[in-house]
Amino acid sequence: MIETFLGVTVLVCLGYLLLTNLSYAALVLVAFVENGVRRHEGASQDFDVLGESRFTIPVSVIVAAYNEETAIVSTVESLLDLDYPEFEVIAVNDGSSDGTLARLVDAFELEPYELFVRHVFPTEHVRAIYRGRSHPNLVVVDKENGGKSDALNAGLNVAKFRYVCGVDADTVFDREALLKGMRRVVEDPARIVGVTSHLTIAENPESVMSAPAGRRPIDRRPFMAYQHLDYLRAFFNNRLAWSRLGFMLCAVGAFQIWRRDVLEEVGGYSRTFTCEDIELTFRVHEKFLREGRDYEIHCLPDNVGTTEGPDTVRKLVSQRERWQRVINETVWHYRRMWFRKRYGSVGLVGAPFYLLTEVLAPVVELLAIATFALAVLLGLFDPAVFAVMLVAIAFLTGALTACAILLDDLQSRTYRVRDLARMLLLAPLDLVLYRPIIVWARLLGSWRFLRGDKAWHKFERNVRAPA
Amino acid sequence: MGQVLGRPWLRDCGDREPTPRIPRSREGWGHADDDDEVVDDLVLRVALVVLAISVPAWAVLSVFVVVGRLRYERLHRNPSERPLRKREAERLVRRVAGRPRTEWGRWRRVTALQRLERARHPAVPRLLRRVLHDPDPKIATAAIRTLGDVGDDWAIDLLVDALRDGDGARSRIASELERLAPAPGPKLVALLRDRNPVVRFWGATLLRPYPDLAEATLIELTWDSDPNVRAAAVETLGTRHGSAVETALSARLDDSEWFVRVHAARAVGHVVGAEAAPSITRLLSDNRWWVRTAAKDALRGMAADAVPSLLATLTHEDPFARNGAAEVLQDVGFVDFLALDNPRSPLLERIYAAGGERFREAAVARAAVAEPKAGVRAA
Repeated sequence: MIETFLGVTVLVCLGYLLLTNLSYAALVLVAFVENGVRRHEGASQDFDVLGESRFTIPVSVIVAAYNEETAIVSTVESLLDLDYPEFEVIAVNDGSSDGTLARLVDAFELEPYELFVRHVFPTEHVRAIYRGRSHPNLVVVDKENGGKSDALNAGLNVAKFRYVCGVDADTVFDREALLKGMRRVVEDPARIVGVTSHLTIAENPESVMSAPAGRRPIDRRPFMAYQHLDYLRAFFNNRLAWSRLGFMLCAVGAFQIWRRDVLEEVGGYSRTFTCEDIELTFRVHEKFLREGRDYEIHCLPDNVGTTEGPDTVRKLVSQRERWQRVINETVWHYRRMWFRKRYGSVGLVGAPFYLLTEVLAPVVELLAIATFALAVLLGLFDPAVFAVMLVAIAFLTGALTACAILLDDLQSRTYRVRDLARMLLLAPLDLVLYRPIIVWARLLGSWRFLRGDKAWHKFERNVRAPA
Repeated sequence: MGQVLGRPWLRDCGDREPTPRIPRSREGWGHADDDDEVVDDLVLRVALVVLAISVPAWAVLSVFVVVGRLRYERLHRNPSERPLRKREAERLVRRVAGRPRTEWGRWRRVTALQRLERARHPAVPRLLRRVLHDPDPKIATAAIRTLGDVGDDWAIDLLVDALRDGDGARSRIASELERLAPAPGPKLVALLRDRNPVVRFWGATLLRPYPDLAEATLIELTWDSDPNVRAAAVETLGTRHGSAVETALSARLDDSEWFVRVHAARAVGHVVGAEAAPSITRLLSDNRWWVRTAAKDALRGMAADAVPSLLATLTHEDPFARNGAAEVLQDVGFVDFLALDNPRSPLLERIYAAGGERFREAAVARAAVAEPKAGVRAA
């Protein structure tokens, strides 16, 4: 009896593995096409013209900060240094208990000013508004703590331009980030309602971004390098393909450009979910598809910045379990979209893909580990076969990762050759050295989702040299 | 391969006796041992197939990444473009002249066009005209950028035609036209008389850097039936001077469309100056937020000259007008001046009353750390 059960379970897990990897491989093929098209498009783009033209659409950049005293000054400096004709930076201090506000006040010579704004989105009480003496396009909003969504909504109330770009406070941006992000929008502002772009990850983003493109290092620690590879796979293998197929499911919180009127229509960022980015993207899809409106949400392959990655296993687990929770929350909340023709490729492909590869993944992974271990222990499964299977999966992951590295390098030529080679060699070992942490984090996230936990569980920022 | 799938090399490693190979008939599947064997064998077969694909794929991709990058760097070290050979040029011309069906093919067409343009190939004008009419606006936009790089008279004509015909994104055409030298101004005047309001809009917008051109027509367009055209004409006239311009712009402060009022507020503030402060202050109580914001911007631009009108608005019945006036008084430095000069002034109290408690707190906090600012005076 148990043999039959284990046999069936092994086959189910094998089927799942084949299905998910076949879908990843199919997406990679689509991603190559999308990357090629965007690369040609980028090459024929003149950022100098775009950067000087008065017809380039102005943007309000909103950065929500909660206890970000180590990173906030670098982030805001990189934003103020953006090469873009007209933009404002709105930093929202979301009731930080550390020195976030004090750092901003000191660094940018802020003074309190009253600003009478629209209260389109309800938020927690705004305590004060500051403006920079040295930077007239910087506004800092100091408010009671209400979470990232609430802080972004407070920023939206202050924003004065038609497009807004929500960014994370732990990210250092490329000078051309907005030009890269808005290059598609300026050509079709009526249809393109949302854009996100590729971000990389590092233990200390400033050190990476200070190096010129083509010479940028990748953290030497394998732990950070694997996170970098994870980001590459997510952006290049998945999101580019989603974008091409019309179901870009996640405009990432670290860099998300939205048309402001669309955010007003859907009610702004929601406070009822653990994180804001995936849910908002789903909500916009849901509304536009339900109403049969023409729209596009894009993910671009251009590298727009580097975000701070967790530097310990504990922090990584905390971050990834939160991501897993919000994916589960969102996919479950929008279950009415699953397999519904009315919701086009989002309902027929995108949401089911998330369900298969993200929501069900921890369950199947747990089942697979338990089943294979039990089967080997009971002598029902040959350990050698198990080992061959692991090696096969490892190289499959390695091949998919190599595709992501290739796509990134074709697009931006950002990193040193020796770092590329190192990442390619590390790729097959992902299964052993990195994947177990992610599996654990996903299981934890799924468990907390079932328990209804919606806390942020913010991890401590990495220790950096003073700004 | 058969040897490998039969896996004697694996079996030899273990302690167990070699087990029979995968059953060839359905009858064999009923027994538990056979079930194990089937699963074992199936997993192994799948694993080996995956391995046979993934290892070479990983290796080939890895080599491709590293070699490709090294090759790119070698080419990049010496970026000077070699001259175009005759046969290569012919091939590129054929590629541009073709009608590719895929998006990929269309982009290759654009790349070929750009290569020919850099080589100053004589067929480029003819080819560009053709690519401009590509049904894919992205491709047409790429051609527009190439035209901007060319910048000759014939390229300007093509860009103006594209603007009129709607080939490619008009905002991109406008961006290219604005950076061109020789300036295409005189060629834009005809656009103001076009039947299509979108073309009139762009014509009016693009004439902003040419203060000597088409003033009468632009004034006429401030009464255009299309509000976008009125807004563009108002915006362009906002950089000019003269009584006719002032009259035309002031009339648009009462336009029925809010975005025309937005442009009118900014333009009047710039052209008419302090004399227009009372009529712009009136817009602080407009029912559209954007108009109120534009009025505030215009009044800020007038600095101390706007103060009398703003003080008169502090007791306005509309709260937006009251707090808008207080905000501008704060931004032009009048509040800080009073707070330092005479903190108990009744006038300051009136401004605080219009601005609210947080307004007062901010002013007091600034006054506590600031020195009087030079150049700011009481009205």
